[in-house]
Amino acid sequence: MIAQCILSMLLAGILLYAFIEYRRSPTVSVLAVSAAAAGLYFVWFPSQSTQLAELVGIGRGVDLIIYVWVCISLIVLLNLHLKLRTQMELVTTLARKIALADVRSPPSPAGSQFDLARSDR
Amino acid sequence: MVDLTPRGRVYVVIAAYNEAEVIARVVAGVERDGYQVVVIDDGSRDDTAGAAHAAGATVISHPFNLGQGAALQTGIEYALAQAADVVVTFDADGQHRPADIDRLVAGLAQERVDFVLGSRFLGQSPRLPPLRRLLLRAATVFTRLSTGLQLTDTHNGLRAMTRRGARAIHLRQNRMAHASELLSQIGSSGLRYVERPVTVEYTAYSLAKGQSMRDAIFILLDLFARRLYR
Repeated sequence: MIAQCILSMLLAGILLYAFIEYRRSPTVSVLAVSAAAAGLYFVWFPSQSTQLAELVGIGRGVDLIIYVWVCISLIVLLNLHLKLRTQMELVTTLARKIALADVRSPPSPAGSQFDLARSDR
Repeated sequence: MVDLTPRGRVYVVIAAYNEAEVIARVVAGVERDGYQVVVIDDGSRDDTAGAAHAAGATVISHPFNLGQGAALQTGIEYALAQAADVVVTFDADGQHRPADIDRLVAGLAQERVDFVLGSRFLGQSPRLPPLRRLLLRAATVFTRLSTGLQLTDTHNGLRAMTRRGARAIHLRQNRMAHASELLSQIGSSGLRYVERPVTVEYTAYSLAKGQSMRDAIFILLDLFARRLYR
């Protein structure tokens, strides 16, 4: 019972997280909700999970739940990756602004007479 | 007779990362023809910025390495701010010929299009290794399927665009996937484009710098992630 409560709390946390993330990435959110809902169901009806596990060819229900967890972790990982991409875009915009604030114009025309022959090795 | 854009109004954007060895020659070659040369030093650890500046380029330095796509976007935005009529993207590793720029820019006016894209398969590309050829062909098929653009060469760094064309480009793929992204933005902009043959010269230097099989896999992953995430 204790384990079931703890697991339920964690899964509920995932559900909450998925709802919050819905606007940012609907695909990831929907996947996370379905995985967490399935997880919750099996935490409270372990025998069902064993039946289902046997149906799909996995030995025990516990194993099935572990697999569900692995899936959720991967989804969260993917979402994290996407978030990092967004951060990178912000960083890029910032870096571009900084770069464009400090443009080095070409030197005097004399400098442009670069000696082509000399750079040939 | 079509009016040609004066060369001083053509901004050639060169994204460079650790190209100190060759950048001066590339800049000098383009600059000699009278174009405005803008080098984006993408956080190089060597003296790419100094070499490019000494050779006569306007130099914009990213504070750290962001990737070729980000560098090109910076260059395009700078060129637009300078009221450029035409923006050309040009590779820093010396594989493009400055003489091809004229033909691309002329193509914009002659064909009344907003993008002229260089193609090495319409032109001559001496010493293109078979594996590289295969990789580029695969990228072409992928682009046809994903953007609907009918092109012979999807990963050619030599392109010319009008001011209107450049304003339709907003590269968000910082790394190598920007080439495909640029094409998909051309596709969705509804603006017209043509391809023109250009010569790509493969040297040991440019081959070492070019995209590998590993990059191709990353490009695919990047593009896939973009689908998931708007």
